[in-house]
Amino acid sequence: MDIFQSTSDSGILTLTLSGRLDADTTAKFSEVLGGCIDRGDRRITLDLGALDYVSSVGLRALIVGQKRLATLGGKIVLCAVRPQILKLLEIAGFTSIFPVAATREDAAELLR
Amino acid sequence: MSSVTLLLVNERTEIQRLGEMAERFGADQRLSDEEVMSINLVLDEVVTNIIDYGFEDTARHEIRVTMGVEGRTLSIEIEDDARAFDPLAAPPPDLTLPLEERPVGGLGIHIVRTVMDHVEYQRRDGHNILTMRKTIGRP
Repeated sequence: MDIFQSTSDSGILTLTLSGRLDADTTAKFSEVLGGCIDRGDRRITLDLGALDYVSSVGLRALIVGQKRLATLGGKIVLCAVRPQILKLLEIAGFTSIFPVAATREDAAELLR
Repeated sequence: MSSVTLLLVNERTEIQRLGEMAERFGADQRLSDEEVMSINLVLDEVVTNIIDYGFEDTARHEIRVTMGVEGRTLSIEIEDDARAFDPLAAPPPDLTLPLEERPVGGLGIHIVRTVMDHVEYQRRDGHNILTMRKTIGRP
């Protein structure tokens, strides 16, 4: 899995994930996300447009991040989610705890 | 019925082989992307769980995965000699809970039960046998 980080002028961090978020790769993602929260990022977009696969290990890392941010007044918004991944998020009950936006611009609106 | 069997050992690196098996099987059987992802998820969730929690010793154990298609029915069987564990005994997670009350785990078997149409557990001769079926080729 690859993770690309960028920060907009308005201070929103975007992490772009590609590949697989599974038992092998989730530790890396958790480390990156945790590091961003540690250094003060609170409004975070996860761009999942190039993510091929997520397992329950990856889902666990997402919810851990969202819970931590909630206690700090922050939030993760997901964007560009592929249909199959979206279906999995629905099965896991994540669409009620993660806002899902079509594009990064829409995600930024949700993080205002 | 066309079927394939893969013998794995209880090491995490095997998950990648499982994924490759699912992709190859999906291509051979002309399954949809969604069906291939379902197989990937099911194999990953069940086998990762066996490898991570199933064994109290450090010995090498064999996990046998068989997949087949007959007509419009996909079947998957996973057999291991780990300690007895019925994944179906766990209650389904409450997905209506607000974020702060939501448990972080317990989603793996819920995903398996949701993406497959039928899941059955047996303990036989010291082995766990999980048998699953799913109707494929839905429009």
